[in-house]
Amino acid sequence: MKKTIGILCCFLLIAGLSFTLPGTAAPGQEIRIAGQFGLVYAPLMVAKKRGIFEKYGLKPVWKEYGSGGAVREALVAGEVDVGFMGIPPFLIGWDKGCQWKVAMGFVVIPVGLVTYDPAIKSLKDFKPGDKIAVPSPGSVQHILLAMAAEEELGSANALDNNIVAMPHPDAAAALISKKGIKAHFTTPPYLFEELSQPGFHLVIDDLQIFGHPFSFNVGVANQRFHDQKPAAYSSFVNAIGEAMAWINTNKKAAANLLAPEFKLSPEKTLEYLTWEGMNYTTAPYGLMGFAEFMQKSGYIKKVPRSFEEIAYENILAFIGNRAGVPSEIESLQYK
Amino acid sequence: MKLTRFKKSLRNKTLNQGMFIIGMMILWELLARTECFPPLLFPSLSSILINLATEIASGEILGMISFSLYLVGVGLGFAILTAAVIATLAMISQLISDWVQALMAILHPLPGIAVLPIIILWLGTGPQSIIAVIWFSAVWPLIANLHTGLRSVSATQIEVGRNLGLKGITLVRFVLLPGAFPYILTGIRIAWARAWQASVAAEMVFGASGGIGGLGWFIYKKRFFMEIPSVFGGMLVIILLGLLVERFCFEYVEVRTVRRWGMTSE
Repeated sequence: MKKTIGILCCFLLIAGLSFTLPGTAAPGQEIRIAGQFGLVYAPLMVAKKRGIFEKYGLKPVWKEYGSGGAVREALVAGEVDVGFMGIPPFLIGWDKGCQWKVAMGFVVIPVGLVTYDPAIKSLKDFKPGDKIAVPSPGSVQHILLAMAAEEELGSANALDNNIVAMPHPDAAAALISKKGIKAHFTTPPYLFEELSQPGFHLVIDDLQIFGHPFSFNVGVANQRFHDQKPAAYSSFVNAIGEAMAWINTNKKAAANLLAPEFKLSPEKTLEYLTWEGMNYTTAPYGLMGFAEFMQKSGYIKKVPRSFEEIAYENILAFIGNRAGVPSEIESLQYK
Repeated sequence: MKLTRFKKSLRNKTLNQGMFIIGMMILWELLARTECFPPLLFPSLSSILINLATEIASGEILGMISFSLYLVGVGLGFAILTAAVIATLAMISQLISDWVQALMAILHPLPGIAVLPIIILWLGTGPQSIIAVIWFSAVWPLIANLHTGLRSVSATQIEVGRNLGLKGITLVRFVLLPGAFPYILTGIRIAWARAWQASVAAEMVFGASGGIGGLGWFIYKKRFFMEIPSVFGGMLVIILLGLLVERFCFEYVEVRTVRRWGMTSE
């Protein structure tokens, strides 16, 4: 018995050492990132390809996940330090007690509900059997649909039984072949692809629903990572910022760099990167607008009393806190 | 006499198992109460049960249970029908029997959920796709057991039946079916379990099939809203339904047929 305990202790010691050694000896600070792929994640892909994280002294460890839900679960389980997700999934986690906050805005992109059916001109034209594909329940698209349903049909839940959860590529294929689903609430590049089909049209889009642009995705960091490795945290925020700035100032070079990753031509990639409404920015938009609607409709139980509850200091400093009437940037956080 | 003794042993078994399960539940609750693990990841049993009670009271979960049961019922019904026809044909012709065995060897190892992408392409995303997956999951174990069962009825028994003047349908009804019944029952048991798994899995992979959706969709939805106690609640309901069907359908039939006929030793 004593012997086994002794051996176990040895193992633990070795394991402990092997975990701590790289942190102290290696030059880079390790950061575990939930890597994702696609047009939305272009800054992440650019940072990876141009070695920007390394430049800021970070040693990124990439972990791949199949869906946004899995990314969130990985963050909850502490498998990764940072990940990207929509504001609604972030708020659902915050509401349930996840120890995390918004570290940065990530991207503002057009989101729209596309159908091939000429008879469907507004939400009122959806019949009970007409399926609407969204990536998952509780996703940005689902919450936008609920917002629109409340506005047009009087109830946020009016279309709940029309919803099917489908990954973007599957739903786009189903919509284009006109099989199974009537409409797809989607983002670029699927949005562009679908709208380029003859007869396909937008039923409603994000600007009509939300009133102004909002962050489609935000960067979320675990509280423990933020508290214990403040240098790594701020390096990460700056590295993503540099990648974004590079894309924004070198769209053509960015398209050339990313085209092979997307398996598209550089021309097509450039067309997508410069599509009306695309905006890679670390500024957050619409944080509270989603929270207020989701609380009112019962998707979450509480609303953040202040930005401090859901955002780290870099975001707080960015939004500011104007004495008197809220500033424009503060107002942009509301619907 | 035999039946009463059996009933007694059943009661002991039930008591034993009940105690074990209650013990496990208490352990769960205590472990959760210590908060060694974050409550978000490991909710207490009491919070799971309270959540489940409110969901039952709101009627949401009952509709989903009946929808799931309906899909499984239809899929399983079709599977039993198909299996009966194929097994009968295989009994009549050795050629078909060979074909069926080949087909079984090829398709039986394929999980129903693996064919879902193809089924969606062919049938779309409605309930019909989920029924098709259930059918596919259930039909192979059914055919396998029916086929083996019918073949395992000894030639002597069939000859005795013939000598007593039975033929055609009566021979099937009084000799073949009872002779093969242990296999048939096993087949249906496996098929039921597979069908249930397929219905939940299909909805979790693919989201709601239509209308309100079933229990798989319930769990899927709760997962995305991070209502982990409700995810456990959904699992609990699936377990309970499985237990109820096992205890009140299969064991009921088993006691009145196979065990009464003395075909199993237990």
